[in-house]
Amino acid sequence: MAAVHAWRAARVTPLGELHTPPRMTAALLRLTVQVVLVASLWNGLYAQTGTTAGLDRDQAVTYAVLAVLASRLRELDQYAGRDTVLQHMHFGTIVYWYLRPLAPQRYYALRALGEQLYGLAWALAGYAVCLAVGVVRPPESAAVAGVFALSMLLGQWVLYYVMLVIDQLCFWTLRNGAAMLILIFAQNLLSGVYAPLWFFPDWFITLSGFLPFQATLSVPLSLYVGRIPLSEAGAQLAVQAAWVVVLALFTRLLWRRAARRVISQGG
Amino acid sequence: MNAVRIAWRITRLNFRAQLEYRSEFLMMIAIGAVWQVSVIVFATVLLTRFTGMGGWDSSDVLLIPATRMLAHGLFVLFLGRVHGLGRHIQEGVIDTYLVRPMPVYRQLQLAYFPTNAIGDLTVAAGLMVGALSRSNLDWTAGRVTYLVVCVLGGMLLEAALFTVVACASLRFPAADYWGRWLEELLGTFGSYPLNVLPRAVGGFLTFGLPLAFVAYFPAAVLTGHGDDTGVPYWLAAASPLLGAAAFLASRLLWRWSLRHYTGVNG
Amino acid sequence: MSGSIEVRGLSRTFHTTVRRPGFAGALKSLVNPERVAKEAVVDVTFDVAPGELLALLGPNGAGKSTTIKMLTGILTPTAGEARVAGVVPYEERERNARNIGAVFGQRTQLWWDLPVRESFAILRDIYEVPEREHRARLGEFDELLDLSSFWDTRVRHLSLGQRVRCDLAAALLHDPPVVFLDEPTIGMDVVVKEQVREFLRHQVEERGRTVLLTTHDMTEVERLAERVVLINHGRLVLDGSLDEIRRKFGSTWQVRATLADPHARVEPLPGIALLRHDGLKVVFGPAEADAPTVHQALKAVIERYEVTDIAIDEADLEDVMRAAYVQAEAVSRAHAEVPSGARAEGV
Repeated sequence: MAAVHAWRAARVTPLGELHTPPRMTAALLRLTVQVVLVASLWNGLYAQTGTTAGLDRDQAVTYAVLAVLASRLRELDQYAGRDTVLQHMHFGTIVYWYLRPLAPQRYYALRALGEQLYGLAWALAGYAVCLAVGVVRPPESAAVAGVFALSMLLGQWVLYYVMLVIDQLCFWTLRNGAAMLILIFAQNLLSGVYAPLWFFPDWFITLSGFLPFQATLSVPLSLYVGRIPLSEAGAQLAVQAAWVVVLALFTRLLWRRAARRVISQGG
Repeated sequence: MNAVRIAWRITRLNFRAQLEYRSEFLMMIAIGAVWQVSVIVFATVLLTRFTGMGGWDSSDVLLIPATRMLAHGLFVLFLGRVHGLGRHIQEGVIDTYLVRPMPVYRQLQLAYFPTNAIGDLTVAAGLMVGALSRSNLDWTAGRVTYLVVCVLGGMLLEAALFTVVACASLRFPAADYWGRWLEELLGTFGSYPLNVLPRAVGGFLTFGLPLAFVAYFPAAVLTGHGDDTGVPYWLAAASPLLGAAAFLASRLLWRWSLRHYTGVNG
Repeated sequence: MSGSIEVRGLSRTFHTTVRRPGFAGALKSLVNPERVAKEAVVDVTFDVAPGELLALLGPNGAGKSTTIKMLTGILTPTAGEARVAGVVPYEERERNARNIGAVFGQRTQLWWDLPVRESFAILRDIYEVPEREHRARLGEFDELLDLSSFWDTRVRHLSLGQRVRCDLAAALLHDPPVVFLDEPTIGMDVVVKEQVREFLRHQVEERGRTVLLTTHDMTEVERLAERVVLINHGRLVLDGSLDEIRRKFGSTWQVRATLADPHARVEPLPGIALLRHDGLKVVFGPAEADAPTVHQALKAVIERYEVTDIAIDEADLEDVMRAAYVQAEAVSRAHAEVPSGARAEGV
């Protein structure tokens, strides 16, 4: 029963997408254009440079393209389904989350899991195509691939919590649509979606070392392209795992406080 | 004149409304600060890494993100409410606007005060000051005027693009998705000399999605790179004019779309 | 099914920030907000027996929704106690959730992007309803609410009437003994309204569910509720049957008669007052005390006088409720003079 139960809530997002073919076409188009643009940009930028910030051209292009693919994992049209915390707060339908014998945090986690798995299918398909046409390089060795996979899993886990915290903020600030966009931009910037963190000044890299964002993407991708050698992988994985623990505790606290807030305000 | 007075009064009320949500207002300011630092770092990081990008001097390149950010900040302040309209359309706001005796587009722009524009404009102004102080160009009155006009043109062009998306969302609420992508594309590709890209890609960003006209062409004309942008010099120089024309065209499209607006169900 | 609702001295106070007027005021509120306590529900006590449908009435902002929220477990009361099917809802929310179904007006709990039937399937799994039971119940609901003609449509494309019917079904899919409905038929056309009422009647009479309903539609109250509870300004004003309410607030009938004999002596009858006498036309109304019902009065007039034409005007429930609200308003105003209304609180 529990397994079926999980499956239903998890498949809300993919099912919604499958029922809206134009949205899938749009996603495909966007992904293609974005990969082409990003690949040509980094090729162009490297036209007059050999290696900079410890990355050569192939590494940089691979990193950038993988970043585009990875950001597909949680970059759906979340608002279309009217199932975001922001919208539930706005429409007053958040009460139903607290009227069911399924804890809101569990429901949220299941929905996110389904969404991330659906995104993974896209990312893997895109990766296969990019690998086939030679836009990205394959990983150096099986060991690198394995460590990358593990690190990516941890990274997605951290990302889940980061997105969750942003969503949880909606319980306190009712109309923070713009704030969300900015936070998501910050998340993208600090996790290295727009440009590898290695290009940034040292103080910026140090600063982001204290934040969870780079654990979501920068670390796994750097492992993939070999910018972080395998010998340092253990430490990086440990840091990622530590973020998972810290954020798990923090978001649990926030869920509890959010519930208290809903219960005291009546949704 | 009366319209201006009403607009001003509503804006004041909107600003007060933003103050009502205490924690959110303070958070917006805090987030604005993070945003400022991030964008400046982002804009300068590639310039320092890849000197001589596209044959441009790095002090000249800085003018591109500065122009683009300033145009964007002004867009957010004055015309930014067209962005993300689809969601509001679904809630039936257009139906409400249609029964009021004020142009729908203006009502839309007066819907709320964009607190985040304060942050956007601050960072943009800072970046522009930085770019100008590092610039080796002779800033004659003509050049300054042209820059100002270009910033305004860039604002109008961005507004035009988002207005087109808004027109689409009058019919298809999912068009919001394209709006978010548009914002991302403008943010990530609007800040480089586009001649580093392959011709086809550069052509797409010129004629397909005309973001080259927002900042790249104006900066190229100002810094003397106007002849190697891949388009005729006169076309690059006419960027602000194009922005204005695009905005007018988009407003016509908006009027047409509004006439064909059929409302939301429910 | 033992779906009783017991409410004892339930109270809820909200704390809100007062906004000072003007621009400077707004800035001042930003720095130093002034908090004020507002009593939304005050010492409300009532019971609903298993299998009973109770209408909770009151003007807008009377505290109906707040009461419902406390009974569904979404809101904790500041004082008093409530039990729904034996469970204290705000203490054991998830246990309570299995016993209740709820629809909040036009707010839908369905998944916007999915066909309705998918939403039903998700809810089935959340409430762990066995498949066979689920299918049987869907069939029953379909018969009463005509769902199958649109349950493969995505929610975003449904009309309001269709969506609310689906929401009703969604709220009852797990067979809850107690159902809370906060203005379920608001904004719906008469045909759909009737369909929903029929459905609710069926759920109460055939399935024995306890229903607590708020509404502003008096026809609905008349058709569905045997008992009503009237609250205003958070206080319980009246708890009784519709007949009681009519007797208390609605004795405003008139009997208009045209007499056959222009010289007949016209005088008041027991409990019946003579309101007007103009030639052949006479109008009777209820006397101050011991007024009969309009039908008894009609009979009495016909027996006493020879009439060529007779008609009655009876206040409908809408008028009765207006009278009740106005009187309730007066009662609350008297309460408000006791210093327990809104009072400022330092922060």
